[in-house]
Amino acid sequence: MFAQRGRILAASALLVAHQAGEAAVPVLIGVVIDKAVASGQTSRLLFWLAVLALDFLVLSLCWRFGTRIGTVAGVQADRRLRLAVTTRALAGPIDMLPGAVVSVATSDARRTTMVNFVLPHGIAAAVGAIVAGTALLAVSIPLGLLIVLGTPPLLLLVRLMSMPLERRSSAQQERAADAAGVATDLVRGVRILKGIGAERAALARYRRISRESLRATLHTTRAEAGYSAAVIVVNGVFLAIVALVGGRLAASGSITVGQLVSAAGLAVFLVGPLNTFGEITAALAAGRASAGRIAETVGQPDIAADSVEIAMAEGEFVCVVTEEPAPLLRGLAARSDVLVSPHHADLFAGTIIDNVTAAAAPHMNATEVMRAAGVDQVADALPDGLRTTVTERGRSLSGGQRQRVALARALLADPPILVLHDPTTAVDAVTEAEIARGIRTIRDGRTTVVITTSPALLAEADRVLFAGTSGTHAHLIRDNADYRAAVLA
Amino acid sequence: MTLLPISSPRDTRRLMLKLVAKHKLMAVTAMVCLLGAAGLSLVTAPLLGSIVDLAVAGDVSAITDRVLLVGGAALAQGILAFGGLTLVARLGERVLASLREDFVAQVLDLPLDRIEAGGSGDLTSRVTEDVAMISQAVRTALPDFIQSALVLGLTLVGLAALDWRFGVAALLAVPIQAATARWYVQRSGPLYTARRVAAGGEQQQLFESVGGAETVRAFRLNDEHVSLVGRKVDATIKLIVAVTRTQTQFFGRLNAAELVGLSAVLVAGFLLVQAGSVTIGAASAAALYFANLFGPINSVLFLLDTVQSAAASLARLLGVITMSDPVAESSAKSLVDGSVKAVGLRHSYVADHPVLHGVDLDIPAGSTVALVGASGGGKTTLAKLLAGVHEPTSGTVHIGGVAVSDMDRLTLRKAVVLVTQEVHVFAGPLADDLRLAKPGAGEEELRSALDAVGWRGPDLDTVVGDGGHALTVTQAQQVALARLILADPLLAILDEATAEAGSSGARVLESAAKAALRDRTGIVVAHRLTQAAAADSIVVLDHGRIVEHGTHAELVAAGGRYARLWAAWSAHRG
Repeated sequence: MFAQRGRILAASALLVAHQAGEAAVPVLIGVVIDKAVASGQTSRLLFWLAVLALDFLVLSLCWRFGTRIGTVAGVQADRRLRLAVTTRALAGPIDMLPGAVVSVATSDARRTTMVNFVLPHGIAAAVGAIVAGTALLAVSIPLGLLIVLGTPPLLLLVRLMSMPLERRSSAQQERAADAAGVATDLVRGVRILKGIGAERAALARYRRISRESLRATLHTTRAEAGYSAAVIVVNGVFLAIVALVGGRLAASGSITVGQLVSAAGLAVFLVGPLNTFGEITAALAAGRASAGRIAETVGQPDIAADSVEIAMAEGEFVCVVTEEPAPLLRGLAARSDVLVSPHHADLFAGTIIDNVTAAAAPHMNATEVMRAAGVDQVADALPDGLRTTVTERGRSLSGGQRQRVALARALLADPPILVLHDPTTAVDAVTEAEIARGIRTIRDGRTTVVITTSPALLAEADRVLFAGTSGTHAHLIRDNADYRAAVLA
Repeated sequence: MTLLPISSPRDTRRLMLKLVAKHKLMAVTAMVCLLGAAGLSLVTAPLLGSIVDLAVAGDVSAITDRVLLVGGAALAQGILAFGGLTLVARLGERVLASLREDFVAQVLDLPLDRIEAGGSGDLTSRVTEDVAMISQAVRTALPDFIQSALVLGLTLVGLAALDWRFGVAALLAVPIQAATARWYVQRSGPLYTARRVAAGGEQQQLFESVGGAETVRAFRLNDEHVSLVGRKVDATIKLIVAVTRTQTQFFGRLNAAELVGLSAVLVAGFLLVQAGSVTIGAASAAALYFANLFGPINSVLFLLDTVQSAAASLARLLGVITMSDPVAESSAKSLVDGSVKAVGLRHSYVADHPVLHGVDLDIPAGSTVALVGASGGGKTTLAKLLAGVHEPTSGTVHIGGVAVSDMDRLTLRKAVVLVTQEVHVFAGPLADDLRLAKPGAGEEELRSALDAVGWRGPDLDTVVGDGGHALTVTQAQQVALARLILADPLLAILDEATAEAGSSGARVLESAAKAALRDRTGIVVAHRLTQAAAADSIVVLDHGRIVEHGTHAELVAAGGRYARLWAAWSAHRG
């Protein structure tokens, strides 16, 4: 965030100038009334109108560029945070759901860097308030003191009124998110709902949650309206007091009528910066909480993996039959010479050929590998063949198609040690047998470990590891009753 | 892909009026309150003006009266604003709630092939983004917009009341503002849409990369994926900066309008005071009036864009809500049993690209049939036609002696349930998920359904699904089969319901499927041939035709396609 310090300073300076320009508008209106309208001199009118025009030019340009620079400062910092979270999530296994990580990378990053964006506005508001206060004191010491000393309690009052509102609004947001979440959940699962004829039950559930959310929202709307109304009343009463004191001062000749107009205008103007303060405090608090969550995510340790040793000779084709593959897979994945292709391998946006060649070793022959993994059959069945676009992380393909594409990708990467987990559960028996032979051919001379209970794959293995023993599939089938129970059921 | 309909601007207006008219009293009262509040807000400036005049005249006691009026007006304005804003928000929230409920109701009512043709992505984006867009407009923009618009209109009246020439002077700003608003709305609409699309793309990329982290790591694609995310972030940043640029230009032009209008009012005041038509106080009041308008004008024009986007979202919601309901004539005939008879089924998704070429099928009630064959043979299409998801291009399906095309939805669901390999666990307690299939089912009944599918997962009150306890694929599919048991149809179709699970999971699911098919007719699409071997009969599909049909023993003896599949399957099984 601090890398954006220069931008934040520039934006602050420009926004300060903008605030000063805004504060000058009511002052200049008063001056025009005093110097020109009251005197009737056209030249003065023209002169002060020109000054007014200059003021507008300055305030407009300062706002334009100050806001732009502030925005850039915010989004650049945002980018760094997003990428930092992404890098962490990809670097090693993390004990967080993907949805939670994405929410940290987007919502929390935005809330954190919102500070970059609001800080210049806050500084500008402070300066604006000071300029307005000084101008008021220059008009009249008692009137100025009244306004300058009267605003902080006013500010405090408004803040106090808004605090319960903030608490309630976050509760409301949760409830509303609930209704939105349930709607999305039901729409995503609409095919399943219709499959079991649960349309009515689902709608009844949604209506209940939507009504609950509505009740919670209505509760907050009253608080919100009450807050807006209170602000109106407080401001109005304050203005009345200013008018009372100012009017008397003007009547007694201590200040001019133009100065009275300026003072009333400035009192109204002060409300702006004061409101900004309130918003900024809230943004800073939210930013702090979010920054904490980002730091926590980036600093999360990897999920611990036990070190795993499998006795295997170089170039061997080993199958492992196990009820508990997860620790084994985690342990193997932590090794740098091993590539573990997960059972639920994700495909990524792009065409089938893009996915197959995502991590291709340069010396490998893609056509040969795709034939071995049965991707050629997949391509034949699809309208655009290998150029078919994959969407929804591969969910646009059937399970069997997805498995074959993922297998081809793993084979084409040609790692020194390849670990496959149940690579053929969704293909028919003939194709499975062909793929089992294909894996063997492509991996000839390289070490391959397949975790499976499928006899078609087990039969191709040089050695099968099962419950502390090892041997060929044929031997184990003949000699080991537990093994038979595990793979033939 | 046929996108779902969007309602025309005219229909949208008509339907919205109808929705608001349901709360007519509330709407009218809200308007009266806000109008009153806006009117009172205008009292302040002339009162200050008269205080100026009284100060010139040195009348101190009259000043106090005026000041009390200023304070009193503020109080009354606050009370009216409170009433008006509360009512507007209530009205907006109520309309919003009924909109989202009607939308979900309609989506649940749509025929499945209509949803599939439109793509579930379109529906999901309507129920998330469009509803959020409208909520935001209702909550933040609407009250501001109405208040500002009222103040704006009344101020012009107030200015003209001071002297009509002030009104004319103020109107000089209007052409600039109108041109600016037009310029802005034309540019901002597409820009905001582009920004939303870019942000959606970024989110999607994040989900893809972070959700697929295990795969990304396995293939050492970390740097590539970080830079993919970076590119999407850059695309969003570019649009955010472009939006800011447009907004700042917009406000810059409005500043020009303010200057022109303010100068005109001041000049008018100068001339009118010279001519003796108005007092200095009136001239001050006019200038203050106009200066106080800056805020409301800017927010009305700025919010035009939100209002426009919300209207577009509204049209997308109403488009779905008002889709004509398919006629669901209730069938008088009741189902005799769970027997299935299909005659001459042909189907093509794309014209001239048939997937099924005349399939005949006769399944006695209570028996289990396995559909086998290579991928792309038409197994899934046949399953969908039998379940009544799609209407066949030609041919008929009868379940229990009644044509599927004649069944109303309720009868159809009693007749047949389809479970596919698509798993979705509904967010909430597990019991709620199961009760979707049978509302009002007691805990005992839910437990016995879970027991039947061999459930070893968390308890009924565990919160599962998105944001809750993550179930394994096997468990999710067990839940689907438990739902099937609770829904208790005459015919159950399982389309590769065991394919997603790993090999040990597949065995759990196979026995679960067996339990789910007990006492009903079953059609099972399966790759694991143990399932086929256990079925009463087997149908082999190839290129959209039934090529073999018989019992396991018959087909193995026949030495055809099934025999080859079986040989491959049992080759290494001892």
